[in-house]
Amino acid sequence: MSLIELTGLGKIYPLGNQQVTALADLNLCFDRGEFTVLAGPSGSGKTTVLNLIGGLDQPTSGCVVIAGRSTGRSSPAELAEFRLQHIGFVFQSYNLIPVLSAAENVEFPLMLQRLPKTERQHRINTLFEQLGIAGLENRRPNDLSGGQQQRVAVARAIATRPTVVLADEPTANLDSQTAADLLTLMRQLNTTEKTTFIFSSHDPQVIGCARRVITLKDGRLQSDVQQRP
Amino acid sequence: MEFALLAWKNLWRNRRRTLITLAAIAFSIMLMQAAHNLAAGVYASMVDHGVRAGSGHVAVYLGDYPRSRDESLAFAPGNLTAKVQRLPGVAQALPRVYLPALAQSSRESRGILLTGVVPLAELTANPFLKHLPPEKMIRSSQGNDAVLGCRLLDELKIAEGNKLVITLQNRQGELVSELFRVRGSLRTGIRDLDGSLVMVGRKKAAAIAGMPGKIHELAVILKQIEEEQTVLAEVNSLLEGKAPRAMSWEQAMPNLADAIKLDYAGQKFIFLIITLIVTIGVVNTLLMSVMERIREFGVMLAIGAGPARLRWLILTEALMLALVGIVVGTLLGSLITWYLVHYGIDLSRLLPENMEFGGVVFDPILRATWDFAWMTRISLYLVLLTVAAGLYPAHKAARIAPAAAMRKH
Repeated sequence: MSLIELTGLGKIYPLGNQQVTALADLNLCFDRGEFTVLAGPSGSGKTTVLNLIGGLDQPTSGCVVIAGRSTGRSSPAELAEFRLQHIGFVFQSYNLIPVLSAAENVEFPLMLQRLPKTERQHRINTLFEQLGIAGLENRRPNDLSGGQQQRVAVARAIATRPTVVLADEPTANLDSQTAADLLTLMRQLNTTEKTTFIFSSHDPQVIGCARRVITLKDGRLQSDVQQRP
Repeated sequence: MEFALLAWKNLWRNRRRTLITLAAIAFSIMLMQAAHNLAAGVYASMVDHGVRAGSGHVAVYLGDYPRSRDESLAFAPGNLTAKVQRLPGVAQALPRVYLPALAQSSRESRGILLTGVVPLAELTANPFLKHLPPEKMIRSSQGNDAVLGCRLLDELKIAEGNKLVITLQNRQGELVSELFRVRGSLRTGIRDLDGSLVMVGRKKAAAIAGMPGKIHELAVILKQIEEEQTVLAEVNSLLEGKAPRAMSWEQAMPNLADAIKLDYAGQKFIFLIITLIVTIGVVNTLLMSVMERIREFGVMLAIGAGPARLRWLILTEALMLALVGIVVGTLLGSLITWYLVHYGIDLSRLLPENMEFGGVVFDPILRATWDFAWMTRISLYLVLLTVAAGLYPAHKAARIAPAAAMRKH
């Protein structure tokens, strides 16, 4: 059985008096340990797919099943708990909490998981070391570069040991070298930790390093290609 | 990092706005505590002054005497005065006789209230006699000495040492007259009283009225006003179900009690407006803070914080705002109260004569008293109100849709 199953997935957004179809009848499966990119131009529905997988939004039609569980009938509280235990998010604009230090940002979801302080501290130290941002623990997001902020965001996403990490254009605001470093890092995590990564991107650099590339156009599946890393 | 720490840090995102809100909470609690403590001090002083000159903290009357002032409602206290005087909480038991009468000098006549008192006991307890030299006080309960209100003395066109005749209707319905000599005069500050008060010995007054041994009032002055209910019960048990009954000063002096209630009601209304303004300020601060963080709340929801977590975060911020404001406000309120307890507000330069309120003269130096129970209560109310003010912003934060929050903000 696949880790994630999207069946007949559709999403329509109201825009004034009109209805905009963001996704239409999408059927996809993702297996555990995948390193997949959702590619396509802006407005093709990449972010919508990630939001629907992560339970941040509700589909207009179809359903999302993750690890045998449908997210469709869950309450906001149940979805939040599900995300906390199973999903890590990395956003294009990092979205770190500005009043918290880098370490506190990573600690936040661990605190939500009610992990003991020592365990939280251990994970933070390990991740900061692993992601090459050791020594930046006490810096506020504003005092970090874009690459450093995105590494902290990745640390926050994987700190809870999620089943899947959803990354929405994670390299869009980074220079090519920083983007390459970050992709290498995520590949390592995918290999060593067996964490499933699903990206949305139209960055050739990201597409180039994925094992599977799913291309969307106007909310519909255009292609689904396995490629050699 | 703990959850409370995040709430605390959130409060200081907009330092100026938080400081203004804190100042509003602190200032309002300071104002309310200081104003209440001052009012409590002034009321306590008025009650003390009023009860010493009037009914006492506890008073014994026959029937409906306090309201009807029917002089036929007199009773023989027997040894009640001595028994009450021996009660542990009692400072002074003052038997009194009140009779409407006519005072005549060789030139003028005036309607008066003849008050029969026990001279020595009255001198020690009655604030009207505070400035009367002891040698000018009535010498005995049976004698013909009289102490007059200063205005009455002027109106009768007599002076200390002069004679006057007091005429009244006795219990048998006959007019009786008695000659008295003015021993001293007093100024109560209450215009009506200064123009009608004639104080004479209790036994003498009762004898003229044809009701020897009887009194209209047994005024009981307490050592501590807090002992009122205890002493009231004790006095009633001494009466053993006899016709006279004991009552509190509020029942005996309804004018004073009502005047205080009315005055405090006005103050409560101002307190209500202050708390309303503070509540609006807190709602504004928290709501603005929520509206500025909608994207961030979307992110928090995305990484696993549930709606309940966000609700508690906002309420914790409200609670912290309230606690800091109240601690600062209580410190300032206590500082002002301390000053008002020790130094007070001296209005004597602003007011040429004694101030009268509810038929009672009170000290022109207004002093506060500590009312710790009320200070605690108002602080708790304000904490609850501030947290309640956070309910709507908290609800708004909890209802944020994460994808829309991150897409639109």
